[in-house]
Amino acid sequence: MSGVKLERIVKTYGDVEVVHGINLEVDEKEFVVLVGPSGCGKSTTLRMIAGLEEISTGKLTIDGAVVNRVAPKDRDVAMVFQNYALYPHLNVAENIAFGLRIRKEPKENIKKIVDEVAQTLGLTPYLERRPADLSGGQRQRVAMGRAIVRRPKVFLFDEPLSNLDAKLRTQMRAEIKRLHKRLGVTSIYVTHDQVEAMTLADRIVVMQDGNIEQIGTPMDLFLNPANAFVAGFLGSPPMNQIRATLATGASGPVAQIGNQQLPLPTLPALADANGQEIIVGVRPEFADIAVADTPDQIHINLDLVETLGSEALLHASLGDDSFVLRTGTLGKMEMLDNVTGFTIKPELIKIFDGTTGVAVAGQVQRA
Amino acid sequence: MSTSIDKSEHAQADDYLNAPQGRVAKVIEHLKRDWQIYLMLLPTVIWLIVFLYKPMYGLQVAFKDYSVFRGVAGSPWIGFEHFETLFSNDQFIRAIKNTFIISFYTLLIGFPMPIFLALMFNEVINQTFKKTAQTIVYLPHFISSVIIAGIVIAGFSPSSGVVNTFITYLGFEPIYFLTKPEWFRPIFIGSTIWQEAGFQSIVYLAAIAGVSPTLYESAVVDGASRWQMMWKITLPSILPTILIMLIIRIGNLLEVSFEMIILLYQPATYETADVVNTFIYRQGLLGGQYDLAAAAGLFNAVVAFIMVMTANTISRRYSNTSIW
Repeated sequence: MSGVKLERIVKTYGDVEVVHGINLEVDEKEFVVLVGPSGCGKSTTLRMIAGLEEISTGKLTIDGAVVNRVAPKDRDVAMVFQNYALYPHLNVAENIAFGLRIRKEPKENIKKIVDEVAQTLGLTPYLERRPADLSGGQRQRVAMGRAIVRRPKVFLFDEPLSNLDAKLRTQMRAEIKRLHKRLGVTSIYVTHDQVEAMTLADRIVVMQDGNIEQIGTPMDLFLNPANAFVAGFLGSPPMNQIRATLATGASGPVAQIGNQQLPLPTLPALADANGQEIIVGVRPEFADIAVADTPDQIHINLDLVETLGSEALLHASLGDDSFVLRTGTLGKMEMLDNVTGFTIKPELIKIFDGTTGVAVAGQVQRA
Repeated sequence: MSTSIDKSEHAQADDYLNAPQGRVAKVIEHLKRDWQIYLMLLPTVIWLIVFLYKPMYGLQVAFKDYSVFRGVAGSPWIGFEHFETLFSNDQFIRAIKNTFIISFYTLLIGFPMPIFLALMFNEVINQTFKKTAQTIVYLPHFISSVIIAGIVIAGFSPSSGVVNTFITYLGFEPIYFLTKPEWFRPIFIGSTIWQEAGFQSIVYLAAIAGVSPTLYESAVVDGASRWQMMWKITLPSILPTILIMLIIRIGNLLEVSFEMIILLYQPATYETADVVNTFIYRQGLLGGQYDLAAAAGLFNAVVAFIMVMTANTISRRYSNTSIW
């Protein structure tokens, strides 16, 4: 069981507490992504798992053994850093072999393993080159090769793709996913890029201000964010959040937005809560565009249409809040400039408490 | 409004395209553009011209039978006669030999010492201890060579010196260190290292500070010990700095610290202490043989030039690091 378990982990620098007693269990072979804005404590958490930062209080277990006081080298973890951390004076082969040489592996063994890993990562033609002579993507592969040769129990990735351009990032993302599938090593990956998180993770851990906001599969978090922060962080563009008041309409609860009423799902939590301030969460892709003659639409003021090819983003405002709609362009190009509002099925709407931002019970299901 | 902007942009583009592209024109263009920077460079250039280039005019006395009364221009040419005299002079040959021996040992022991010190300082975790130790080793650099020589002379004094006090305490006879030729070189080399090693370590400490911390973190995760990190990361990372410093040191190799030698040596130790520069000092300034001294100085400079060129070429070929 080479899983990782964090129990009430706290990190303080002097009097400042930056990670506030987080709990997380990563199963064997699982790919978990820690995601959150800058300064949320995700990298600090990863560095505590690696042993590069001391754990102030709490218990860290790797493969069943408590490792709080165990040196990084004895934790059997390998880490890939944001800036690759390649040794500039060593060539690719020597960089990949560094960890093995430190551990005094026999030379023939080292060569065999390095060749195998280079083959896997497509680095064989570059083994004699220095890092300075490689492209960003190749450097990233070398950094991964250096982690792989160790055959560790756990891989730790600290924003490994953030220095790459968008195209290369997409390519490398797929390679990491493929590699994880093939090697099946428990992996913990830190990023601030929610697309990376969504595409790579078996489970995502969303962090904010040193706390875990929510843990779940990418689709869980996308469809049913635990609070307004998670809703605003995942998804591109993020979920629209409209301030409204809960009221009762002709056929059930509605959100009163100015003088408009948006029908809401019938949830037990909404009964007897008339007049309560709520935040209505609408995913830009879950709403359908409406034109002048569409019945039962919620009217919006269209500001701007961004055409992205197969789809378009419609930037608008609804009351005091901004509102974005995402729609396909096929056969709709003519009507995009004439959009006057949107319609949405009540069961696709998320509702958050207007004061705490916590999601009101109820699950959005989408096949 | 927009028309006028377009017009001025066009005008600028035309100016650029029509600008003369010769080397002189480029220099003038640079001077015009960055005149503030060149202005700041000016004092150093003037200093170089006045103190290093203008005196080169006097180098011709090495090939002349120079007389103060006839002047440099009026003295007759005598070709390589002074060089022949020098190379048939046992004292000069001895001075060359001593220069090379002292330089070689100073380089061999004195060059690695600041690197070693910087590596050690880098390993010290206790900041108070680190700062105190650094101040102590930097301090001798700021003391005049005369004071340093005074400290050395006092320290090795046969009657009251701390070294001889210790030797006599152990029951041995006191040693007259500064009058014994065999002791001169160790004392001289030791005192110059003591004076300069700490200060020279600053360059290497700065180079070490430039090494990315993630290289160490990555090595820690890979299982490297502090010793391994020092050998496999720190040292190779500062190697370009080490090579540049080595080239500079080789260029200054024949200079030795001749003020220090003059302060410490005496006729009894000439056998091991007299170097080319002290020879030039005695012949030229004390003996009034300016032409012979100029020939010796020119020889010294040519050898130094060849050495620095060779070191730079070797370094460029094997490590891609060079001064030019």
